[in-house]
Amino acid sequence: MKGAKTKKRKKWEKNDWQLLSMASLSVIFLAMFAYLPMFGLILAFKDGDGVLNINNAIFNSKWVGFDNFLEFMRDKEFTNVLWNTLGLNLISLIFTFPAPIIFALLINEIRSRKFKTTVQTITFFPQFLSWVIYGGIVLALINMDTGVLSKILVKLHLISSETDIIAEPKYFWAIVILTNIFKGVGWGSVIYLAAICGLDSALYEAAELDGANRFQKMWHITLPGILPTVIVYLLLSISGLLNNGVEQIFVFQNQLNLSASEVIDTFVLKYGIRNNMYSYATAIGFFKSVIALVLILGSNFIAKKITGEGII
Amino acid sequence: MTDEKKLKKPRSKRSFRANWFTWLNTIFFILFSLMTLYPIWYVIVGSFNNGVDYTAGGVWLWPREFTLDNYRVVVNDLRIWRGFGITIARTLVGTVLSLLFVAIVAYAMSRRELKGRKIFYYINIFTMFFGGGLIPTFLVIKWLGLLDSFWVYIIPGIYSVYNMIIMRSFFSSIPSDLREAAYVDGAGEYRIFFQIYLPLSTPVLATVGLWIIVGHWNTYIDAMYYVTNQDLFPLQYVLMRIINETSTPSSSTSSLPPMVFENVSAKTVSLAAIIISILPILCVYPFLQKFFTKGVTVGSLKG
Repeated sequence: MKGAKTKKRKKWEKNDWQLLSMASLSVIFLAMFAYLPMFGLILAFKDGDGVLNINNAIFNSKWVGFDNFLEFMRDKEFTNVLWNTLGLNLISLIFTFPAPIIFALLINEIRSRKFKTTVQTITFFPQFLSWVIYGGIVLALINMDTGVLSKILVKLHLISSETDIIAEPKYFWAIVILTNIFKGVGWGSVIYLAAICGLDSALYEAAELDGANRFQKMWHITLPGILPTVIVYLLLSISGLLNNGVEQIFVFQNQLNLSASEVIDTFVLKYGIRNNMYSYATAIGFFKSVIALVLILGSNFIAKKITGEGII
Repeated sequence: MTDEKKLKKPRSKRSFRANWFTWLNTIFFILFSLMTLYPIWYVIVGSFNNGVDYTAGGVWLWPREFTLDNYRVVVNDLRIWRGFGITIARTLVGTVLSLLFVAIVAYAMSRRELKGRKIFYYINIFTMFFGGGLIPTFLVIKWLGLLDSFWVYIIPGIYSVYNMIIMRSFFSSIPSDLREAAYVDGAGEYRIFFQIYLPLSTPVLATVGLWIIVGHWNTYIDAMYYVTNQDLFPLQYVLMRIINETSTPSSSTSSLPPMVFENVSAKTVSLAAIIISILPILCVYPFLQKFFTKGVTVGSLKG
């Protein structure tokens, strides 16, 4: 009896096999939907464009080395697509990442519980709407003929004349970033509010005795206190940087704003799935995966150097 | 506001600056809430307005020519109901299967007795950082015969390493006494999992389950990539196509009286469709908000 209770069982028994079978489920799934696609990346080095039979595309097509990558780099849209992917995501991160932190700091200063909960109930809501619904609402609002936004912007002298905002490439990034903030800022603040609640109230009392005002308390106690949470979430945001936002982009993209809205994901869909250029599109996707990997490892490395903490 | 001041005064003398800040802060949040609510109000107003009249512009606070015909057209649109059906089905089936799958793996991974635990862990973690990308995944799904099938909504997303890590850390926090007692009594791991661990895990199951539900309900990208059969489109994708439609709905394909179609336009019908799609979310929202806010602490990161 006692022997059975020890932590590590020496001999293989029924329960070990059962545990193994449970964990193996993940291996079966990942082999299919993660590792097999990774093996499929060899398509990027082959000439499988237009070969509809997958076996033929992967096994019977010619090796072409890095030709598909070179072809992408020579594509006249290459710099544009790359810039849209990296630039839009980075600028979006710069604006949308601090927004929930500021929101949390500000709402934390509200004393009335009722008011606080009401604001939270309202501002959390858009997070639970799909991009199709939220985008549909925004599109109705900014429509040149029937919407109100361009009329307001003209009144405020922010734009010179009524324009079809969604058809103008120069406004596309602003639409993506602003809708990102409005949809996600309320909900995004929850995690920081939870972190703020976890801070030691003795610190605030001590600061109050020393005569600190609320801005000083915010700057010297709250912000440093939630810094670890901030770093973890910053790293996570950078890890997902290039994968986020496809659903959003597709909702707002149209033929007229393509020069600002074509990103790697939309480009791959167009060439790979709609035009069957499997090898070419695989190479472009591979290109993106490598950039994403560099971003994750790089940011994690820097975070570890500075704060001694990383997520890997 | 007044009781607040009463409460504050005895505590300490508030400087002018702090009061000024409080007011500004309150005004900011009132404005922000209005800016969140107004777009939805704007869509509601448009959806109740005559479609032809709406096209002239200027409808922004109250319907100018009130009509219910936009909703009549939407409610009679079979695509919407089919979309609702597909979305409900994928959400139910997808959530149940996915929770079960993730929980079983997470349970095994939470056990130190698992042989080769490290190897399993690395096999899982690696996929969070690198993947084959869209086209190879598309080809695998094609090879598996999942294109244009309902199961393409369920199977490729049934497992998530991220959710597994969250559940694993919850399972690790369950005291091992119960499990060991059951083990001594000769219970197998599956029995321990289903009869001891699952019933104890409702908080984490609810949190992760709600994430999965919201994900299933809102996504359309899998339909866009993998499905061409219109009968299988989920609600969001149907809605997207309705929003992008420019031609006015016509009476030719509908059982509604032709009069109805004189009062609608493609735009106002799409606004009514948006409102219809928001309604179910609005109904469960109080529940969602409560659980999600609690769940933030359950799902706190660090694997």
